[in-house]
Amino acid sequence: MTTDYLRGIKKALTGSEDTPLVLVCNFEAEALWAKGHVGLPAVPFSGSTRLVRRMEELGVLLAGPDDFLVLSEALDPGFRRYAEELGFALPTVLVPENVDPSRSTAEDALDSPVLLEALRSTAGVLLPMGTTVLEQKLAEATGLPLAVPGAEVFERVNSKIYGRRVAVSAGLRPVPGFECETVAEFLAVLDEVEPLVEQGERVVVKDAYGVSGKGLVVLDGKVKASGLRKLVTRRAARSGDDRLHVVVERWLPKRFDLNYQFTVGRDGAVVFDFVKQALTADGVHKGHLVPAELEPRHHDELRHAASVIGERLHADGFSGVAGVDAILGLDGVLHPLLEINARLNMSTYQGGVTERLLPDGSACLAKHYTLRLAARTPFDAVRAALGPLLDDRDGERVVITCAGTVNANAADDAPFEGRLYAVLVAPDRARLAGLDAATETALTTLESR
Amino acid sequence: MDRSSVVKTITGALSDIMQREYSDVTEETRLFEDLHLDSTSVLTLLMALEDQTGIEVDPESLQMENFQTIGTLADYIEGNLDVSV
Repeated sequence: MTTDYLRGIKKALTGSEDTPLVLVCNFEAEALWAKGHVGLPAVPFSGSTRLVRRMEELGVLLAGPDDFLVLSEALDPGFRRYAEELGFALPTVLVPENVDPSRSTAEDALDSPVLLEALRSTAGVLLPMGTTVLEQKLAEATGLPLAVPGAEVFERVNSKIYGRRVAVSAGLRPVPGFECETVAEFLAVLDEVEPLVEQGERVVVKDAYGVSGKGLVVLDGKVKASGLRKLVTRRAARSGDDRLHVVVERWLPKRFDLNYQFTVGRDGAVVFDFVKQALTADGVHKGHLVPAELEPRHHDELRHAASVIGERLHADGFSGVAGVDAILGLDGVLHPLLEINARLNMSTYQGGVTERLLPDGSACLAKHYTLRLAARTPFDAVRAALGPLLDDRDGERVVITCAGTVNANAADDAPFEGRLYAVLVAPDRARLAGLDAATETALTTLESR
Repeated sequence: MDRSSVVKTITGALSDIMQREYSDVTEETRLFEDLHLDSTSVLTLLMALEDQTGIEVDPESLQMENFQTIGTLADYIEGNLDVSV
């Protein structure tokens, strides 16, 4: 059965809550939007590309039985059985016949005539995590309309520079900082912040397009500030390119990070979806906690911010789901717009799970567990390792939300890194912490020694 | 700078960045898989190594092979030290 949550998204984006969707969960979207922009110097490789791509399986528990999900690998039959036993009616999974691990799923799909024909016959509407040139090509190749705008709009409104400018112009208490578009601007900003860094302040430099963990440097000492200055200056001299698209912000002392989501309908109506407490370490996203420990005035302020940002996004051509990162300072002051992620967010994909399996008043923790595995591990082995933790025991349970990432790196030398995504539910935070620890312990039985 | 100093410099920089003591690492220890370096920590590591060894690194020209293990990174640094001499 399709959840109310998904029906709401369908209604806002397609006009009908019964529209069949074709989901492509392209978690690598930011990397494509970043092309054509110059970020911080970076090594041209990453240890997590395949893991990020296989997060596409998070779409399984969002989509309903009338929907279609394009995945680069078929679902593990054990995970399918598990999800169905939880009561989820799963979408039809479509796998391109030509899959190359170095490509994204949309690229695989574009190179797979049989799949393209199958997509044409769905008569659905294409909903990518965020539109890049590839999903736009997929829409053209299949004749399926997009539920959301094209790549150009997504690229524009997902820049951190755009987000800061919205915060400033809308008076949404921006974090003290700067937007830079050239090396010269950046060096002038460094001149200003370096004395602060030397006095012990932390300053963060973020690529205009960077997902968590990438394109971000925390300046917490002289070596990093001068090191970054050297790297940026040398590269510009070498390439003759003076562009540099970054934001530079003071690292504010905080109680915690927040993430809230709203949906901008095609008609411009903005619906506030939810707010979650975000768990981060040095700017890298680690998970979400619900309910967020906020006062009523904070909720009011976030709803106001959502409405202002949603209106601005719609005026700039956007409709769709948008998440916003915010921060609650140690002083209790909210900074409601750190950055806009105008695309489906991690929490979007958990919307069906929380609607079905999170009892009112419960606490919930969404996170991933990193595994070090000696060999490809079928889902049934993961299920056996977690055993009774997966059952509902007095309002407490672990729900696995993505298993495809467990074996994403199985082609690497052992031990390889895998990830298991889960939503933990418990009556209160203390029991949630206990459940998290028990899950961690149970999963060690899978790991290579 | 001899090989053992280079390895010691890398291990020290890694400890600072990852905020962990690495008493049991060897030249065979893998940077991504075993020590969980990510793109951000790689850049920070490069800046620290530039500062401590005097080499100049163009991050965009690096290959994944240079970052397989502590040993391959030491090879890369030694190669660049030779160039600067």
